[in-house]
Amino acid sequence: MTKPDTVVNFDVALIERARRGDSNAFERLYREHVGRVHGLCLRMTRDPDAAADCVQDAFIKAWKALPRFEARASFSTWLHRIAVNTVLERRRGPSRAEVLVEDPGEYEETTIVFDSPVEEEELEAAIESLPQGARDALVLCGVYGYEHQEAASMLGIAVGTCKAQLHRARGLLKDRLERGVR
Amino acid sequence: MTTRRVKRIDELARDIPPARDLWPAIAQAIQVDLSMKAVPARRRVGWMPALGLAASVALVALGVLIGRYVGTQGTDQLANNTQQGGEAGMVKASLRDAEYRKQRDQLLVEVQARLDTMSPAEREKVGASLATLKRSIQEIEAALGRDPANALLQDLLVSSCQEEMRALTAVRDSGHQEI
Repeated sequence: MTKPDTVVNFDVALIERARRGDSNAFERLYREHVGRVHGLCLRMTRDPDAAADCVQDAFIKAWKALPRFEARASFSTWLHRIAVNTVLERRRGPSRAEVLVEDPGEYEETTIVFDSPVEEEELEAAIESLPQGARDALVLCGVYGYEHQEAASMLGIAVGTCKAQLHRARGLLKDRLERGVR
Repeated sequence: MTTRRVKRIDELARDIPPARDLWPAIAQAIQVDLSMKAVPARRRVGWMPALGLAASVALVALGVLIGRYVGTQGTDQLANNTQQGGEAGMVKASLRDAEYRKQRDQLLVEVQARLDTMSPAEREKVGASLATLKRSIQEIEAALGRDPANALLQDLLVSSCQEEMRALTAVRDSGHQEI
């Protein structure tokens, strides 16, 4: 399993400075993390403008919430949680509750391996075409390496639902890649 | 996107930089936040007089805004009155404020008509931007309630109100081009 966060130690000093109101330190944190946060928002929203808005909102919320950030936690994960929340707030619809399935224990695996190499562009298009709930689970677990429990917590859904959504995403993805996505 | 081939989904790039630099807007919001944090918190018992003062300051600030925004006759007199801070100045500022509110209300009606012609996605995007501006103004006014004499906050209020008027005008005057 790939860890979603690899820059925590580097961030500690910057976080402490930012906590004390140093916006330059926060800008360095922004520069360090914006690509990953944007990638996450873009894949969840499927809209570059909405993704940019969510990134801005997420970093502003993070700045305001810095005093509540616990230094022992992963800054990257904390930031992603805020970003996911921002995307979900923006959706505002009932779609978060899409397809509730009981905990399927056999769907633990979060990695998706293809039989043969797939073009990145084609794969991104296939992910984009997935239903929202399946896409969210796939992006967080499959692409960003979060465990089901963490992803479910971020998305505000049950762990079982997250597993089922990922399972569903896996099937749809393979099907769409075989059919040429669209 | 590149045409790189991947065997596993976690080989996809996690970092996708945004097309434009998003930091300036974030930095602006941080500056507002820092200004508000610089305002000392007041005890609850002091709220009512502070709110009264805040309302007065807001009127003066908005009066100045009208002077700048409308750019019609009487601007100098308004500025003088505002600087003097006398009762007569306040009354004139209030009148200006009424004029400002009338113009803003009219603008809001026209903006709503324009929003109604937009696609839902566009409408949501523009609406969110306007709501952000409105929220900023409300936050600054709340901070002024705690520190009515804070010149930085007064300036921020004026510039934020100007920004809102500019944004509303831009939305009203927009055709089908991107706002």
